[in-house]
Amino acid sequence: MLPSPFQFERPSTIADAVRAVGESGDGMFYAGGTELLLALKMRVIRADRLIDIKGIPGLDCIAVNGMNEIEIGARCTHRKISGDPVIREHVPALASLCAEVANIRVRNVGTIGGNLCFGEPHADPPTMLAALNARLVLVGSRGTREVHADDFIRSEMETVREPDELLRVIVFPRPAGPVTYRRFKHGERPSVNVAMTWSLNADGNTIRSARVRVGALGLRPQPLPVVEGALRNVAVAEARQAIETALPAALDQLEVNADRHGGADYKRHLAGVLLLRSADEAVTAGGSWLK
Amino acid sequence: MSVTDSMSAVRPDLIEKVTGRAEYVTDLVIPGMLHGFVVRSPATHARISSIDASVARSVPGVVDVLIGADVVSFGCWGVVLKDRPIMAIDRVRYVGEPVAVVIAETIEIAEVAAELVDIAYDELPHATTIREAMMADAPLIHEHHENLEDFYFKGGARPTPSSNIFHTYRNDVGDVDAAEAVAAYVHEDHFTFPAISHFAMEPHAVIADFQGDSLTVWAGAQTPTAVQKVLSRLFGLALAKVRVIVPFVGGGFGGKASVKIEPLVAAASWKVRRPVRVAQSMAESMLTCRRLGADITIRTAVDANGRILAKSARLLLDGGAYSDTGSAVATKSANRIMGPYVVPNMRLEACAVYTNTIPGAAFRSIGGPQAVWAKESHMDNVAAAIGMDPTEFRMLNLASRGERIRPDLRALDMDMSELIGRVTRSFAPDAQPSNRKAHGLALAATDPANTPISNAIVRLKIDGSILVSVSSIEVGQGAHATMAQIAAQTLKQKVSAVTVLRSDTAVAPYDWGTGASRSTVVVGLSVESAALDAADQILDMVAEVWELPRDGLSLVEGGVSTGPDVLTFHQIFHRSLGVDSGEVVGRGAITPRSKKGSLAESPLFWETSAALAEIVVDEETGEIRVPRYASAADVGRVINRVAAEGQDEGAAVMGLGHALHEALEFEDGQPVNATPIDYSIPRITDVPPSFDTILVENGDGPGPGGAKGMGEGAILPVAPAIANALFAAYGIRITDLPMTPEKVWRALQKRN
Ligand SMILES: Cc1cc2nc3c(=O)[nH]c(=O)nc-3n(C[C@H](O)[C@H](O)[C@H](O)COP(=O)(O)OP(=O)(O)OC[C@H]3O[C@@H](n4cnc5c(N)ncnc54)[C@H](O)[C@@H]3O)c2cc1C
Repeated sequence: MLPSPFQFERPSTIADAVRAVGESGDGMFYAGGTELLLALKMRVIRADRLIDIKGIPGLDCIAVNGMNEIEIGARCTHRKISGDPVIREHVPALASLCAEVANIRVRNVGTIGGNLCFGEPHADPPTMLAALNARLVLVGSRGTREVHADDFIRSEMETVREPDELLRVIVFPRPAGPVTYRRFKHGERPSVNVAMTWSLNADGNTIRSARVRVGALGLRPQPLPVVEGALRNVAVAEARQAIETALPAALDQLEVNADRHGGADYKRHLAGVLLLRSADEAVTAGGSWLK
Repeated sequence: MSVTDSMSAVRPDLIEKVTGRAEYVTDLVIPGMLHGFVVRSPATHARISSIDASVARSVPGVVDVLIGADVVSFGCWGVVLKDRPIMAIDRVRYVGEPVAVVIAETIEIAEVAAELVDIAYDELPHATTIREAMMADAPLIHEHHENLEDFYFKGGARPTPSSNIFHTYRNDVGDVDAAEAVAAYVHEDHFTFPAISHFAMEPHAVIADFQGDSLTVWAGAQTPTAVQKVLSRLFGLALAKVRVIVPFVGGGFGGKASVKIEPLVAAASWKVRRPVRVAQSMAESMLTCRRLGADITIRTAVDANGRILAKSARLLLDGGAYSDTGSAVATKSANRIMGPYVVPNMRLEACAVYTNTIPGAAFRSIGGPQAVWAKESHMDNVAAAIGMDPTEFRMLNLASRGERIRPDLRALDMDMSELIGRVTRSFAPDAQPSNRKAHGLALAATDPANTPISNAIVRLKIDGSILVSVSSIEVGQGAHATMAQIAAQTLKQKVSAVTVLRSDTAVAPYDWGTGASRSTVVVGLSVESAALDAADQILDMVAEVWELPRDGLSLVEGGVSTGPDVLTFHQIFHRSLGVDSGEVVGRGAITPRSKKGSLAESPLFWETSAALAEIVVDEETGEIRVPRYASAADVGRVINRVAAEGQDEGAAVMGLGHALHEALEFEDGQPVNATPIDYSIPRITDVPPSFDTILVENGDGPGPGGAKGMGEGAILPVAPAIANALFAAYGIRITDLPMTPEKVWRALQKRN
């Protein structure tokens, strides 16, 4: 199947791209096209104009900025992130997430920005970026704004991004403790995933704070505040126990859809399994964090 | 030998394929060709109240729009029951049924205009599952059944009037009731099996060119002569005026057997009098055909020693909206639920049922995976119920070589205990099941419908090169390489001297088709006999012209040995014909009367498979991994090892998909996962890291060199072997496929 006819533009600046999308008719940004072209071919999405953002320089940089934050350009492909030395050094869990997203063809051209902007609930990066407390920098006709990863996805296939806002970069603080990510999938996309980040106290033995996000179960990644609370100021060695105790109440608070990925009780259970396995991994990683 | 030479020695098509030069239908361009896009029914079962194609027709570049009204006069077609119009006429019976074909200068235009065809539907009550279709007040999906006796398979269908049952097959042996009455134990189980997509990498693509009273069709068809016959009848054309050309085919698995979209594309070409190409997407091909789902009740009676006294099975098969070969699938499912055991009393019944879903079709071992899933899972249940080890229970009841498992079928031509021994030894010495690893065994002996009707032509040219024409298609299985090897061996020439022509009914003589594991044996025998015919002719020529005794002559590479001398083919033709040119044309034919009638009895050989699976279960998620797998088959004689092992492994991995991943799902007849993204098949990472393929060769098959057919056996035991391992380790019995992590987890929860 083929998409209905569209016009194609390839601007070389963000300003031109934003202007081009904002013009009359339905314009859309086009990065790797792995979601967009499929949807156009299946005719579930329509666009009069595609604005290819691959001609804009600077959208695919990865760096640590002056605020000790990591910046990932929205147009970085999964493949680029998975092999990037900065990411591998500071957030290896993100590198391996990107190394395993989808399949090799999608990873080679699909971008992290496209993944976020598509708003598919069964996705990997949104959960991880929410746990990393990332901010997304959007540039539109009315200026630039930042949105927290937690607030970006509004619902299934729906984000807070205005149609003419370009996601430029993703920014998050350099992790100060172990970062883990686990998913369960039996098919093309994750059924459930869990990302967890710990900030350790200076002694390296206790958790100052933790962020836990569970993805793919509802419309967007969800926090597990009960678990986060239970981990505050807990010794790394006791983290698993703390999670185990808090888990039943925490899982009850999750909003879980029953869908083709499984019944709600099963997927809620899987979230717990993944979280405990993550805890074991984080405890091991935590021990070596400061060394 | 260079890499390319050694690849070509194994399979001449490999280099063409890996370099992208191999031609598939979608690569062909016929001068003047137009493009068709099919508008499909969104309704499960509905009356078409109106079709307005005027807006679509007015789009620049659109040549015409074919609708049902155009094809009414052609009537219906079918290969067993004539139940199918070329396209929906006044009524649609499943989501995806073709309702219109927009024909345009480009595919882009056709697809855009397709959205402008305005069709209104009035919903009808529907029956989308076996249960719904069998209810007393179920809507009738077809009111009439016209039976085509002996049209494609021997026999026909036995529909039940005023019902959705379009075929019933029964076979009773002995007295089951009496046996059950004296049995020490009777055990009954119920299993279900889902619809499964063929998922060939190449979707259906057809080009048709109607010119006056002749029609040429390029199609990835597995049975070109069946396509030829159906088109000839539908359009009233002489068989000799219908030409079917089959370039390389990118996977069929039965999904391109019998006839699929060829009548539709031919009708489009008939309408516009120009060549028309329809190249479906994978998602469209998933709406075109699929394996029949099944609902199976099976019961076994045993005596106090564990000997089977009786077995009864009732199989209901979901045939979808049109019968296609569903009746044969049902019959075969009943045959395939028996062996390889001694069962003195049997009551077998199989019904194929219409439902308002995608039409069912042949699929690698028709009816086999459904039947073997039930029977081999059931065997372990019976063994457990009587407290016997499942392997021991099987060994006790195995039929041996030479024994008949049913009086009307050929005696077993293999020794199943040998295969069991081979897979068991494959797992030794280090593989005792542990509390993490579990083992499961399953067996299959099936009766392929390898109709012994085939012809071949082998032409030996003056320079020693050889042309083979057969109707067998090259679908990746290596049939053409095998035919080349058989011709070369018979004529004592190098295999590189042989060229097998692309399948083309205008060139190749009649053959039944490519399927049912028959080509190596049946077509192979006709190639062998054509080669022998060519050999006879050349030897006769030498004997006559050189005035030598015929029995002193023999073929050698490049010519004929007379004992002291070698005459080259050049010398032979030159002196015999007086000019430096010529060829001999060898003709080979296989019929049920060939080989003193020994090919007539069914089955021609037993297709076998024994498998041992080792599984590891993640108890917290329910996920099953298969780290180790052994598959054994008695293939008589291996002709091309790479191809044979590839067939066995490919079939097993396909079976792994059936076991753990695949189901084409419907909600009220709406397919919910009929796209390549939503439908999941195994990936290379799911393939057992340790995979042992054991091909047993006793040289006792009916084919060339003692070969038997193969390629469909290894798909059969995978699911029950895994299920039996699960049962052995955890005592949980999964009765419906696929064994998804969620299903396994729920079963584990229920047990706890
Ligand atoms: C077969 C398959 C399997 C997959 N499996 C997974 C999986 O397991 N896990 C997972 O997380 N994902 C999965 N994906 C999704 C994959 O990650 C995305 O397809 C990919 O990252 C999207 O990036 P893209 O550049 O191709 O986006 P595009 O297709 O180009 O764009 C997607 C959407 O985002 C918009 N967009 C793109 N870039 C920007 C930007 N910078 N600013 C504003 N809007 C933008 C586009 O307008 C469009 O609406 C899978 C996809 C496929 C096709």
